Amino acid sequence: MTNFNWLLDGSIVGVYLLVTMIAGLMVRKYVGKVETFLVAGREMDVYLGIASLAATEFGIVTCMYTAQNGYEKGFAGATPGILMALAMAAVGLTGFVIKPLRDSGVMTIPELLEKKFGQRIRWAAGVVIVLGGLLNMGVFLRTGGQFLVLVAGLDVRYLEIMMTVLLVGVAVYTILGGMLSVLVTDFLQFVVMSIGLILVTILILMNVGWEKLVTTVETSYGAGGFNPFVNPTMGWEYVLFNLMLNTAAVLTWQTTIARVLAAKDTRTGRRVYTGTAFFFVCRFMIPGIWGIAALATLGPVANTLEAMPTYLSTAVPAGLMGILIAAMLAADMSTDSSYMLTWCSVIYNDILAPFRKRPWSERKGLFWNRTIIALIGIFLLVYGLWYPLKGDLWTYLGVTGTIYLASISVLLIACCYWRKANSWGAGASIVVSALIPVTYLVMEQLPSTAALAKSIGPYYSGIATYFLSAAAMIVGSLLKPQSHVEGRTA
Amino acid sequence: MPSHWFWWAITVACVVWYSTITVYVAIKGAKDIKSMLARLDATRKKEAEEQ
Repeated sequence: MTNFNWLLDGSIVGVYLLVTMIAGLMVRKYVGKVETFLVAGREMDVYLGIASLAATEFGIVTCMYTAQNGYEKGFAGATPGILMALAMAAVGLTGFVIKPLRDSGVMTIPELLEKKFGQRIRWAAGVVIVLGGLLNMGVFLRTGGQFLVLVAGLDVRYLEIMMTVLLVGVAVYTILGGMLSVLVTDFLQFVVMSIGLILVTILILMNVGWEKLVTTVETSYGAGGFNPFVNPTMGWEYVLFNLMLNTAAVLTWQTTIARVLAAKDTRTGRRVYTGTAFFFVCRFMIPGIWGIAALATLGPVANTLEAMPTYLSTAVPAGLMGILIAAMLAADMSTDSSYMLTWCSVIYNDILAPFRKRPWSERKGLFWNRTIIALIGIFLLVYGLWYPLKGDLWTYLGVTGTIYLASISVLLIACCYWRKANSWGAGASIVVSALIPVTYLVMEQLPSTAALAKSIGPYYSGIATYFLSAAAMIVGSLLKPQSHVEGRTA
Repeated sequence: MPSHWFWWAITVACVVWYSTITVYVAIKGAKDIKSMLARLDATRKKEAEEQ
């Protein structure tokens, strides 16, 4: 039983969906070139960039996992958010990597890598980015659907149909308007999402109360609920791994970098980073508080991932429930549209590059970009919705993310700042960063090595991936002298 | 001062900062969209004339 009221809350959700679709479709007339389609003609300004970046990086899947962190780790569960905010502020203030990246005028990261490491590395980097990104995104749709079903009390039989209709709607405006539609709808979605997040948080703080939240965490987790270094499930290795993971994400996650590349100049891109930095604390703290409130109200539950939506289904009154669901739909739609466009840009710009011996016309380029987005949409439906994922979701997300983040961050830093870096080092780095996480995952599954994998743990394995990926770049580059082909620097 | 002041301060900062930035970005972002579309429209018309 939930507080969702079909007339009141359903109307709020319906109006939101209608306005978003209209706004997304209205800007399609401005799209006549591939550059406008992929990076909005590089006309994005600071505040639109902040709204778009914040909306993109907060989906329902984010809300579910950060709330789960709050439920399972207390306030200490917000540590990754604080680390990401610090990394983003530092990168924005110094321009580390993002300045040379935006100055180069490229549309994707692999395009820049080609200037230093050659065509093959550009292609390989494109494949790694798309594989890691798409496999990561593959689970978004189902997790989002689970949240909506639990909060609104919908019949689980309609989950697939509901999420399919939602994805088709998002795909339509993304296919027609590209980055322009994404930016305009992201803006609306940021406003709706933020209103919902703030109102629900204030309601929880008023109803449950600060002291009860603190007492619950103290009783359940002791000092470890407030300090990640003394939490038995976290420790220094958790903090270090998350620092590396989040710094790599700030530097190379294609949906984040897409905002720097769409910015009207380098200074604007840096200001978008500094302006959005603190949002990443909110991104973990706000759902984290929802998770702690679920722990305080429901007590121990079998499925900690479902604790927060189960709690909200009865804690949020009618009216506000409509705003909450509209907010979560906004979060999910903005993430889906941006992710589809971003991976499309890498497939078109980098993976298909060898097939474009002669430049394609703008018309042909747009046709292929739109086709790729449609294909990504079909992949998401088949892989993420109709094919239920088996196994541990967190390990799955961590592995797919690290495969991409470790190597591409090393390649990008070396490309921008190390003169001696070459394609041998780049190739070695890509192989190493893919090999370690996949080996760890296989070891976890095999009975003979499961105990060893458990004793190593995902955080040490993750830290090793980043260090060894960097070592592979250094050793590979120094072993093989730079060839004539790789003479150009970024 | 409430117990666990660090997390209390972070929580208050999140609610205050997020509420403020939402209103600010909503106003300034709408202006950004307007000027972005105006620039793109001007470029589009210029290119059409050149053709």
